Amino acid sequence: MESDEDEVMQRVPLSERPEWSDVTPVPQDDGPNPVVPIDYKPDFVETMDYFRAIYVADERSSRALNLTAEAISFNPGNYTVWHFRRLVLEALDIDLQVELDFIDNIAKNNSKNYQIWHHRRWVAEKLGTDAADKELEFTKKILSADAKHYHAWSHRQWVLLALGGWEDELDYCRELLEEDIFNNSAWNQRYFVITRSPLLGGLEAMRESEVSYTVEAILAHPENESPWRYLRGLYKGDTQSWVNDHQVSLLCLRVLNTKSNFVFALSTLLDLLCHGLQPSQEAKDVVAALEMSGTDEPDSDLAKSVCFILEHVDPIRANYWRWRKSKLPNAT
Amino acid sequence: MAEPELEPVEEPPSPPPSDYYSSPEFDKDRHVTFLQMMYQLLPWQYQNQEINRLTLAYFVISGLDLLSSIDRVDKDAVASWVLSFQAHPKSEDEPNDGQFYGFHGSRTSQFPGECRGVMSHNGSHLASTYCALSILKIVGYNVSSIDSEMMLTSMRNLQQPDGSILSLLQNHLFAIVLLISRDGLFLMIFTNSVHFSTTGGATYCAVASLRLMGFIGDDLLSNSATSSIVNVPLLLNWILQRQAMNGGFQGRPNKDSDTCYAFWVGATLRILGGLKFIDEKELHGFLLTCQSEVMMPLLLP
Repeated sequence: MESDEDEVMQRVPLSERPEWSDVTPVPQDDGPNPVVPIDYKPDFVETMDYFRAIYVADERSSRALNLTAEAISFNPGNYTVWHFRRLVLEALDIDLQVELDFIDNIAKNNSKNYQIWHHRRWVAEKLGTDAADKELEFTKKILSADAKHYHAWSHRQWVLLALGGWEDELDYCRELLEEDIFNNSAWNQRYFVITRSPLLGGLEAMRESEVSYTVEAILAHPENESPWRYLRGLYKGDTQSWVNDHQVSLLCLRVLNTKSNFVFALSTLLDLLCHGLQPSQEAKDVVAALEMSGTDEPDSDLAKSVCFILEHVDPIRANYWRWRKSKLPNAT
Repeated sequence: MAEPELEPVEEPPSPPPSDYYSSPEFDKDRHVTFLQMMYQLLPWQYQNQEINRLTLAYFVISGLDLLSSIDRVDKDAVASWVLSFQAHPKSEDEPNDGQFYGFHGSRTSQFPGECRGVMSHNGSHLASTYCALSILKIVGYNVSSIDSEMMLTSMRNLQQPDGSILSLLQNHLFAIVLLISRDGLFLMIFTNSVHFSTTGGATYCAVASLRLMGFIGDDLLSNSATSSIVNVPLLLNWILQRQAMNGGFQGRPNKDSDTCYAFWVGATLRILGGLKFIDEKELHGFLLTCQSEVMMPLLLP
């Protein structure tokens, strides 16, 4: 098994352990013509055979608990084993703080496994709000090694919603974004906090300060998709405000004026125009300055010009930009 | 309830010229051989995928089918094997006992009926049910001989009060929550469990489900079509942005491309009618860079 290198001692087969001598292992019945049979190793087979035996006997004992740990180490994805472990934990009324340590250990090599996170959530739920700090620490540790770890973020959001601990979360997002402004998960979490935290005023109340924050982030790296999406999200449910807010269109123009990394600025401008933005002369001038020389006559329709430029500066999506152009209303 | 008519949402692209895939790049024969080997025996490193046995079988069989090599398998043997995973109620009354009667994903969750005492539910699983039915269709089994009425009736037991659907009654882990908002959602909150974050995979699941349920129809991209459920322009823009500079698809902004998203994102676009907007050549190029140079050593005698 893969964790062999961690083992100090050789594993003693279950058949040779006196404490298991009363148990008859139950073999797996693969049937006559199994498809995709797996070339199981003998210790895997033996562990699962003994697990089947205690499962069928519904034995919720200490040795059963230990056996589930062994089975999990071979096969951390096996939800039947995890489920049975939970039954045994309940039956034995085990201290669940200890169980958190067990999960910490397994998670080291298996952190991308749904079962582990589900089990962790089950334990945390039972421990209640007291577990909040520990869970936030646990996910923080995982995120420090992999800042976009999907399961860790998922668990962290569940913890905040179910157990609380919102106080430092916006700060945490800021920290992560300082480390990596391109971290989409951190932007996502930021959105989660400003919209869901019971300690903040909600999206509309937070909008102004968040727009400032986001504009700064965009200006630093206009090629970063995340803050552009975030900006749009700040106006969720209120597209008119997004169109009418001068900060948004001005931001686009500022980026366009730099003549570099302006793809998202252009596509945002296009969306604004499609939603009714009346372009300023400055906007028209900035776009005209970007158009290739020697190509078609610049279109008097700003949106058409924008689409034309996008076809050239974002060629991987050229088909899409051509289609967008074809869908524009004919009148300017 | 009448079955919704499922029209193809757009014409499939015309097939490439016959020599397109026989260029030195895409080595079809090697892929077929690899899949055949897996069909016959998976190396021990797959032990920890035992619980997903049926899914592995699905990948192998559908892979062979896509490569026009399904005749390499013993179709009858496959059908028997898959049917052996079906969960059956013990009596006439049981379909109404709150359980789901689908297919198990592996022998490790399947216990003889009398021994089920430990669990209040059998371990059959929605995802493995999908795989089982798909495999059976591919190998030409007459699926109408399956008691679909019982399966569908019992499938209702998986739906939760908040609308979400468990895939396994033992735990809530695989709940696919479809949060449908009247004004469409920023970041398309198609999630797994409680986590609010968009990914290509979850987006596909949601879009496909909405399509199957008839909440989104054909011709989504025409001017007149609007959806009260999904903000289609925003979704389209977001999903197309997943094609990265290297031609591959990523699952989320600012992450690396991965071959799997060619399916999740590609299939989503197919449903929306937006597949024509991708750069097919660049994608193809990326996928071929992921083709392994090394052939696994033969494990068979």
